[in-house]
Amino acid sequence: MNTTARILIPALLVIVATMTTGATLANTPTIRLFPTTVVEDLRQTGNVARDMETGLQEVIGQLDQQQELYHESKCDGAEDDPGCQRLARQIGASYLDMLTIMEERLPDMEHTVNNTRLSLEKGLRNELGRKMTPWTLQETLIGSDANKAVKKSSPTLRGRSGMRLSERFNQYYQLVATSGAKGDQSLAVLASDIYLDMEETSLLIQRTRQEIARATLMEQLNQSFGIITPEMIEVVGGVKTILFGDEEGQALVAGPPPGSVEQAYRSPLEQ
Amino acid sequence: MNSIAVKKPLLIFGLIATAFVIASCASTAPTCTGPQSKNLSTAISTAQSSLMEGCHAHFDRYYDDLLTIAEGDPKPENKREFSQFLVWSTDKGLLSNRQAEDYYNRFFNVKFMSLKGDYNNCSHTCPNKQKVLFDMERELSEKERGLLKVSLDNEGYYRADQLYQEVELVLEATCTACSARR
Repeated sequence: MNTTARILIPALLVIVATMTTGATLANTPTIRLFPTTVVEDLRQTGNVARDMETGLQEVIGQLDQQQELYHESKCDGAEDDPGCQRLARQIGASYLDMLTIMEERLPDMEHTVNNTRLSLEKGLRNELGRKMTPWTLQETLIGSDANKAVKKSSPTLRGRSGMRLSERFNQYYQLVATSGAKGDQSLAVLASDIYLDMEETSLLIQRTRQEIARATLMEQLNQSFGIITPEMIEVVGGVKTILFGDEEGQALVAGPPPGSVEQAYRSPLEQ
Repeated sequence: MNSIAVKKPLLIFGLIATAFVIASCASTAPTCTGPQSKNLSTAISTAQSSLMEGCHAHFDRYYDDLLTIAEGDPKPENKREFSQFLVWSTDKGLLSNRQAEDYYNRFFNVKFMSLKGDYNNCSHTCPNKQKVLFDMERELSEKERGLLKVSLDNEGYYRADQLYQEVELVLEATCTACSARR
């Protein structure tokens, strides 16, 4: 009898423990915030962003060289000189190329960003908005380690990271706008962060496209006079800042050759 | 004339009796002064005596006094002292279970009691988001006191702080998604 009990009791305990664990796992809510489509959309957005950056990198390098030549030729203050006017027109043409590339790439970017945003929006609304109470949301965020140490590799939250994608587009917008304004943890957190980023990005792309159309028209007019406007220099310097991470104060100084700066650039899409 | 002579001692007697009654009432009313000891266990005992002597209406103040005393000698064991004090309070009928849970968790747990609610986020939390976040912020300062200053539970407090930021972010996104009509 004693032997039987010694065998049975631990066996029963194991069964009960297994069933309890199973029940706990079964009760854990499964949230579907990242279906395959979202992941694919994210990848595509990253590719489109990278394509745009690569395309711009070349024309920026060209602009750098042209500006350097312009300054070395002491064209500042000698705008009436025919040679300087020719150089200015070349710079203007490169500037137009840059705006054209942005204009061409932005619709793709807008499309992929919107797809990602809409998929995440649906997931957030259904999974976190309608299926959860604030308490269950908290429990999802805190997981099972409420009293454990703060994870060392906690994810980057909004406003804490470096320059985000939307920030980059915000800069694009600021630069193109001639009003010359100078001016790791839960999926829920990750989805929220990306969604809000995409929301801002989507709006900024819309505004940037409008400003590009206007800036392009202005530069086409300037081409006939062969002048370099401060706005152009500012826009080019700003785009360099976005692409190569140059400091704003150094915007007018020629950057290193495009090939060597590619490594210095870190896209916010990098994981 | 005689009736006046009889009534006068009665009047004096009545006045004296009233004075005694008033004086006796004054001497039995609880003073409800806060615990003076700097030792948490002693202070809790004093508070318990006072609470049982009719000062239960001042429970909030006593709890606050005890937290202040515990801040003078912070240690992880203080959590248990407070838990036991709150359990005693429910046993004595001074607090309901729910109240005791609230008193404890607001100060000594990572989770936010401000997030208690039975309705879904889209319908209930989002319309009151600012209030929810304000309440959480206030609760975070209570956790700073309970977890950090009383119990020396730095990790717990930092987790609560992180949780607050996560909830703020996730609610912003969720509420934007809830209100989107595209």
